[in-house]
Amino acid sequence: MIDVQLIGLLNATLQAATLLFIAALGELITEKSGILNLGVEGMISVGAVSGFITAINTENLFLAVIVGVLSASAFSSIHAFVTVVLKQDQTVSGLILTILGLSLSSLIGKPYVGKKLEVKLESLIDIEEPLNIFQVLLNQNLIFYIAILLMIFTAYVLKKTMFGRRIEAIGEDLKSADSMGLKIAKTQFIATCVGGAFAGLSGVYLTLSYVPYWTDGMTSGRGWIALALVIFGGWKPYRTAFGALLFGFLEALGPRLQTYGFEMSPYIVKITPYIITILVLVFLTIIKNGNTGAPKNIGIPFFRENR
Amino acid sequence: MNKFILSKKLYRNELATFYSFLIGFLIALAVGSLILFIQEKNPFDVFSLMLKLSIGSVNSLSNSLNKAIPLILAGLGISIINSVKLWNIGAEGQIFMGAIALNFVYINTSINNSQIYIFLLLVSGFLGGAFCILFPAVAKVLFGVNEIITTLLTNYIVFGLTIYLINGAWKDPASLNFPAAAYVSESVYLPTVIGKLSSGFLICILFTLIAYYIKDKSVFGYEMRIAGGSALTAIYAGINAKQKAFFAMLIGGGFAGLAGAIELLSQTHRVSTGISQGFGYTAIIVAAITGMRPVGIFLVGCLFGALTIGGSVIQTIGVSSYIAEIIQATTLFGALIAQFFFSYEILKKSEND
Repeated sequence: MIDVQLIGLLNATLQAATLLFIAALGELITEKSGILNLGVEGMISVGAVSGFITAINTENLFLAVIVGVLSASAFSSIHAFVTVVLKQDQTVSGLILTILGLSLSSLIGKPYVGKKLEVKLESLIDIEEPLNIFQVLLNQNLIFYIAILLMIFTAYVLKKTMFGRRIEAIGEDLKSADSMGLKIAKTQFIATCVGGAFAGLSGVYLTLSYVPYWTDGMTSGRGWIALALVIFGGWKPYRTAFGALLFGFLEALGPRLQTYGFEMSPYIVKITPYIITILVLVFLTIIKNGNTGAPKNIGIPFFRENR
Repeated sequence: MNKFILSKKLYRNELATFYSFLIGFLIALAVGSLILFIQEKNPFDVFSLMLKLSIGSVNSLSNSLNKAIPLILAGLGISIINSVKLWNIGAEGQIFMGAIALNFVYINTSINNSQIYIFLLLVSGFLGGAFCILFPAVAKVLFGVNEIITTLLTNYIVFGLTIYLINGAWKDPASLNFPAAAYVSESVYLPTVIGKLSSGFLICILFTLIAYYIKDKSVFGYEMRIAGGSALTAIYAGINAKQKAFFAMLIGGGFAGLAGAIELLSQTHRVSTGISQGFGYTAIIVAAITGMRPVGIFLVGCLFGALTIGGSVIQTIGVSSYIAEIIQATTLFGALIAQFFFSYEILKKSEND
C-alpha cells in the first residue's frame, strides 16, 4: 500500500509540473526559431486573468480556456512585432512584456480579486480517493492530458515535419535559411505567437484549476522557472518534461516537508524552489561545459543586407 | 515579389534616443487615455490631476523626486552592468538586500557620531547590494550561467528572506498585523534638503556623475565596453573580460543596494516589504529607454518618479495606480517602435533591380 501523503505529493507534483511544462514547451518552440521571449511571466499572467474573468462571467470553461489562450497569444504578438518586424532588442522587449503583462493583468483583474470560481476544471474521471499511481494519473483534468499530447506533438513536429525543420534551420543559421528561401519573419512570428498561446494555456491551468482564484502576482516567478526549464531540457521537449516533473516535485515537496519530520520555517520553504533552480542551472552549465544546446541564432535579429 | 526593401541607415540621428523616448511617451499617453476612456474616466482630468499632485507644489515635487532616487540609482547600476553587455534583472532583490545589510549593521554596531554612522550604514547598503549579485556574478564569470535568470530568481529569494526576517528574528512586536523590523533611531535619518526632499537626492546626483565617469570617462569603462563588445578584441588588447564583467556586476549591484539603504534611512525607517514597490523592475525600463546613458537615466528617473506618485494619488478618485506602470512600460514599447524608424529606412525597389 502507498500511504495517503505520498499520493497527495504525487498529485501535487503532476499539477505543478503541468503548469511549468506547458509554458516551457511554448518558450522552447519560440526559442527554436531564434527568438528569445523573456515575457513568459507576463503572458502566463494575461492568460490566467483573462481565462478567469471569462469563467466567472460566462461559467463556460471551454470558452474561458479559449479566451485565455488567444489573449496570451495576441499579447505575445507585441513581442513578435517589435523583435521580428522591427528588429529591436529581444531582451528589452521580452522584459517589458513581462512588466506590461503583470500590470495589465493586475488592472483588469482588480474587480475580481477574492471572487470564487463556481465552476472549475474537474478531473475527467472522478476518483474520490486515488489509491495508486495509475489512479492519480487518471485523476487529472483535461489540460494535463493536453500537455502530454502537446509534448508528443511538438517533439514530432520539430523533428519530423518540414515546418519543424524550417524552424530549426532558422534558429541555427539565419543566412543559410534565407538563401534557401525560407520565410524567416513569418516563421518567427508564428513561433512567437504559438509560444504565447502555450503560456496562456499554462495561465488558465493556474486560475481554473491549480489555485482557482485570482490575486496580483500569483504567477510568482513560474514564468522564469519555465525559462530555466528550457535551458535545463537542452531545448528538447521530452527532457524539458522530465525537468518539469523534477521542479514540480520540488514545489510540491516544500510545504509537505514538515509532515515528513523536517522542521523548517514556512518562509524558507517558500524560497527553496528558486534556490534549487539556480543551483541546478549552475550545475547543468558546468557539466555541459557551457555547451547547453541553445539555438545558435537566439537573440540575433535577422536583417538582410541591401541587394 | 516584395516592392519594398529595408535598408540600414548609415548615420543615425544623434538625438534619436531622445526623440524615440518622446514619441514613446506620447504613444503611452494615448494608450493610457484609451484605457481610462474604457473605464469611463476623462483622461484629460485624470492626467491634469496627476500632474498637479506630482509636481504642482514643493511638497508633491519633493515626493516625486524622492521616488526617483531608487529608480535612478538602480537604473545606473543596470547601465554599468550593461557596459559589458550583461543584464541585471535582480535590482529589486538588491534593493531589499541593501536594506537588510544596513539593518544588520545597525543592530550590531553603535556609533555616537551620527554623520559617520549614516555614512557607514550607506556603505553597508552598497555592500549588501553587491553581495546579492555576488553569486550570479561568480556563476556567470566562472561557468557562463545565464545571468538574466539567476539575477531574476535572486529577487524571489531575497524577498522571501525579508519576509522571514520581519516575521521572525527582526520582528518588532509593536508592528502587529503589518510585520516589520524595528524602526532605526531618528539620529540616523537622512536629513531633508527642501520641503520633504531627502538629501538622498544629492547622493543620487553624485552617483549619476560617478556612473557617467565610470562608464564614459574612465579606463575601466573603456575596458568594459571592449570586453562587452568583442571577446576577441579584448584578448588582443590584453583585457581580462571576465574580471571586468565581475566588477561591473558587483558595482552595479552596489548601486541598487545603496538605493535600498537610502530608501530605509529616508522613507520607511525600518525593514519592511515596503522598501521597494517594484522599483528594481521600473529601473530596467528607465535604463533601457535611455540607451543606458547615466544623465538620461537621471532625467527619465525623475519623470517616472513623478508618474509613480501621480499614479498613487489618482487612486483617491477611483483610478487604478497600475495606469502609471502601464504608461511606463508602453513608453518603452513605443520608443522601440520609434527606434526602428531612426535605424532603418524603407526603400522602394527600382524596376530594373
